[in-house]
Parts: sequence; structure tokens; C-alpha cells
Amino acid sequence: MAVISVSHLQKYYQLHQKEPGFSGSVKSLFYRKYYDAKAVNDISFAIEEGELVGFIGPNGAGKTTTLKCLSGLLYPTSGNVFVLGYTPFDRNNAFLKQISLVMGQKNQLWWDLPAMESFLLNKEIYEISDAQFKKTLKELTELLDISDVLNVQVRKLSLGQRMKCELIAALIHSPKVLFLDEPTIGLDVVMQKNLRDFIRSYNQKYKATILLTSHYMQDVRELCKRVIIIDHGKILYDGLLSDIVKRYTKNKFLTIELEEDIGREKLEKLGKVTNYQFPKVSLAVPKALSNKIAATLLDSFPVTDLNIEEPQIEAIIRDVFSKQ
Amino acid sequence: MKKYLRVLSNTWEEMVTYRLNFVMWRVRTVLQFLTMYFLWLALIPKGTILFGYSQTLMLTYILGTSILSAVVLSTRTHEIGEHIYRGDLSIFLIRPINYFLYWFSRDVGDKLFNISFSVVEIMILLFLLKPPIFLQTEIIFIALAILATALAVVLYFLFGAILGMLGFWSPDVWAPRFILFILLQFFAGSLFPLDILPKSLYEAFQLTPFPYLLYFPLKIYLGQLPFSTISTGFLIDVIWILIIALFLQFIWHKGLRLYTAVGR
Ligand SMILES: Nc1ncnc2c1ncn2[C@@H]1O[C@H](COP(=O)(O)OP(=O)(O)OP(=O)(O)O)[C@@H](O)[C@H]1O
Ligand SMILES: [Mg+2]
Repeated sequence: MAVISVSHLQKYYQLHQKEPGFSGSVKSLFYRKYYDAKAVNDISFAIEEGELVGFIGPNGAGKTTTLKCLSGLLYPTSGNVFVLGYTPFDRNNAFLKQISLVMGQKNQLWWDLPAMESFLLNKEIYEISDAQFKKTLKELTELLDISDVLNVQVRKLSLGQRMKCELIAALIHSPKVLFLDEPTIGLDVVMQKNLRDFIRSYNQKYKATILLTSHYMQDVRELCKRVIIIDHGKILYDGLLSDIVKRYTKNKFLTIELEEDIGREKLEKLGKVTNYQFPKVSLAVPKALSNKIAATLLDSFPVTDLNIEEPQIEAIIRDVFSKQ
Repeated sequence: MKKYLRVLSNTWEEMVTYRLNFVMWRVRTVLQFLTMYFLWLALIPKGTILFGYSQTLMLTYILGTSILSAVVLSTRTHEIGEHIYRGDLSIFLIRPINYFLYWFSRDVGDKLFNISFSVVEIMILLFLLKPPIFLQTEIIFIALAILATALAVVLYFLFGAILGMLGFWSPDVWAPRFILFILLQFFAGSLFPLDILPKSLYEAFQLTPFPYLLYFPLKIYLGQLPFSTISTGFLIDVIWILIIALFLQFIWHKGLRLYTAVGR
């Protein structure tokens, strides 16, 4: 059975329209016009145990809303959600003990106390044994390289340090299902990489099921085999990342270095010249012909260097969104 | 259970870091006490009786409200409304912890801190003012007064929690709190014992939940209520607690369905 299964999930937020200005405020005191914001509009998918799935889409697509429904924070407008066999909104303790929702911008740490106090509270909340707690804490602090600030008041930590402590607090109970909402936000490049490594090994070591959103394509590319692309509350694509790359890649990019300035006209016959700055030239060529064209270039032109590049995932995703 | 003890001790530690704020708050309560103390001292000279109160009884009542306020009225529930409105509730909904027990633990932490200060203050005041004090010797009255105080703690918590639920609907949780606070000062009997009011007014008040917060436990301690009144009092007290608890449960579930977990 799938660990996460979502069928025809809808979540509408009720909003009221307020006219601008003071008279608008007064009016809205007596009369409010409500309308629905369809944040999630009939989505279905299933995720098996141990999968690490990337959930991507532009701002306001409905990613966070979906994660909130999956973790039991929001009451779905309609549709069914099951996580580990539970209905999240019931917030059964056995369910809560096995999940975690990590959000980039919210904190559970006690602001005026050292982070350690918050960890200890979670130890009790999740009923973790002393030995297990020590072990997990050691692993997490080493991995996130943060053991030196655990006893400093949280308010005095830097943003990145606080984020790391938040992560520890969220993972101290070794959840089986992890919802990560932009976990790498605010971390430096090195830490982003560390965290990705950590997420990968956490996924493999504990067979944890992970659903991750991120605006950093690097996260998705390195971690997720499968992606679900969502926009305006609807799923546009659900499948292997490699498939969508194949499907949307019509062109490859050749970058060459020329020995002499031969002018762009001659090259235009082979493909679309996207950049001509002697000695560097970039060409977009049909995917199927890329090898042949590369060979032609090497044979018949004064080329000293040649590179074939796949298009960036960012570009592909942009393509997907513009195709709707 | 242990988790709630942790919440309690964390709350205590938090208060230690804000001790200056806290001391200012205590100064305010001491000043209020002194005002009432000297007012009644002037109104009831030694040996006279006013509204059925001798000087000793009245001063004991005033001193009693001072301590009892620390026990019953110190609370953190005023933070609930904003906590919900800002979306901080989310952090609790995703963990296996009861949101109300969490706040109740915080309340107890807050109360213990307040009580420990209050006790020291009272010691000092007793030493300086040497007021005549009535000491209850009947165990039964003391026991019933403690029971009534425990119920008062629960009742006041439920009040605060209900007001906090407004956070599901509106950011304006401050005004209703303020009104409640004013009502309490008056109806709970923190300024004067309620039985100095006209009889009909006094009897009407007994049907509201307010007298059970301070007045009722104190009067039991003073041994001034007959057992029949005490038992009716407990009955009304418990009925109010049940009504408010059920109502709280109702709006909590209603609120959760509307909750949009803003932020993050
Ligand atoms: N609490 C709320 N009340 C009303 N509308 C909301 C609320 N939260 C989100 N929305 C709306 O629902 C839609 C989806 O929001 P959501 O936060 O799920 O997007 P997202 O995909 O996580 O975006 P981002 O990448 O910016 O985090 C948006 O149009 C947003 O304005
Ligand atoms: Mg989001």
C-alpha cells in the first residue's frame, strides 16, 4: 500500500474582498463578499514507501497547502488523503509520531531558551528513550555541524544556525514520513549541499518517504528521481524527472571555440546560433542531430574545443509552465 | 505527562530571563494590595463592624485576594489568540501534544513563579504592617477552600482559552480580554467582598461564574458560608466549568476546520 495517497484533493481558502481605503473598511464591517481561492484544485497522486519525490511549481502553486493537508494542519475542502493509513486531520498520536513537517520560515524552538531545551521537550513529546535521543542528537548535530551552539539562547543564533536547530528539533523523533517545505532556504551553499546529502542518506538509511518542495533546482536534480509539477492547484506532470527532461528537450546546446573568426552565417546552416563572441560560439541544435552536427563541426571547421550540454532543468520547467 | 512538566519548567526558565518585566508586574500588584489595604483599614477602625466585616476579617480577605490572585489569575492564556492567529498553532498540531494541556502547563509554571514571589511579598508585608489576621483552624474549611481554589484555576483557564479561540476568526483578541479583566476585578471580588453589595444584586452574581474565582474560596476559608451555601456554590461552579468546557471543545473543533495555518 502506498504510504501517501491523495485522491481528488481540493483545498479552497475563503477570502473576502475588501475595497481599498477607509470607506472600504467600514463597508466590510457590515457586508462581506466571499470568494474561494482554489489553492489546491483536484489533485491525485500516490507515493510509495522510501520514495523521495520533488514537489515543484511557481509561487502560489499550492505546494505548501498540499503539504499542510498531508500533515493534518488543514481540513480538506473535499477529496481523500491517507498517510500511513491514517487520515491526517484526525491527528492520531500514532500518526503524528511518524511524521514531520519542516518549513523554512516557522520555528518551534523556544526563542528565549537554548535550543537544547526544545530538543528535550520534543524528546518527551515523542517519548524517545534516552539512548535513542542521544544517538539521534549526536548524528544530527555532527551532520549539521552545530554541536557548539546548542546551549546558546536561540534568539542569539544566526539565521542559518537557527535553521539547523529547527531541523534537529523536527527530526529528533526519526520520522518515517517527511514533508520538507523549502528546507534549504536561508542556508549557505556548503550547508545546502550538506543538507541535501543528509536528506539523501536519511531517505536511504531509514527508508523514509520524503516529499520535498524547493525553488532551488539543484535540490530537485540531485535528490529526486520523481517529480510532481503543480501550478494553479493542478498537477501538470507526475513522473520521472529524466522522462520530462527527455520529453521537453528538443534541443541540445553545442559550445565551441574557434581558431579563426569565420562569421556566424556559415554556422547558421547547422543550427541556431544563440551566441557569437569570437572565439566562443553557442549553437542550439535538434537533439537527434546533435552528434552528427558535432562531428561535422570538428571535421570541417577550425574548431579547437567542443562541448555538448543538456538544457538546464530550470529552462525545462519554464517550458512546462509556458505550454499550458 | 513528562512532556507537560517540561513545558512547565521551560516556562519557568523563560520567566527567569524576563525577570525585570516580571518584577514590575509584581510591584503593580503589591501597590494595588496596599491601596485596598489602607482603604479598608481607614474604613473599618478597630472594634467596629462594617457590612458585617470586622477589621480583621476584611484585612484577611484583602490579603487573601492578593495571594489567591497569584494562584488563580496568573495565566498565559492571553497569548493563545495571537498564537492561533499568527499560525503558531501549527507547530503544536503536528506534534503529539495536547494544545490545551500545553497552555495549562504554561499556566501552572506562570502561577508557581507568581506564587513564590507573592509569598515572599506577603511575608515582608506581614512583618512590616503587622496586620490582624484571621487564621482558619477548621481543617474542613481549609480543605474545601483548597478544592474551590482548584476549581477556580480550571474555570479561569477555560475563560482564557475560550477568548483565545477568537484567534481563529479575528486578530482583535485584545479588546474582549480587556473587558473580561475589568469584569473580573469587579465581579470576582478582588476589590471588595461581594456580600457588601445589595442582597438582590449579590444573589444574582452567585449565578454567574465570576464569584467562584476569588470570592467563593476566600469566604469558605473565612468560615463565613454555611454548608448549604457551600454545596450550592460548588454545584453552580461545576456546572459552569462543564458548560464552558463543552463550549470550548465545540469552538475548538469549529475553529480547526477553518484554520488556514497561515505563515510558513
Ligand atoms: N492562509 C491562507 N489564506 C488564504 N489564501 C491562502 C492561504 N495560504 C495560501 N493561500 C493562497 O493559496 C494559494 C497557494 O498557496 P501555497 O502557499 O500553497 O503556494 P506554494 O506553492 O507553497 O507557493 P510558494 O512557492 O510561494 O511557497 C496562493 O494563491 C495563496 O495566496
Ligand atoms: Mg510554499
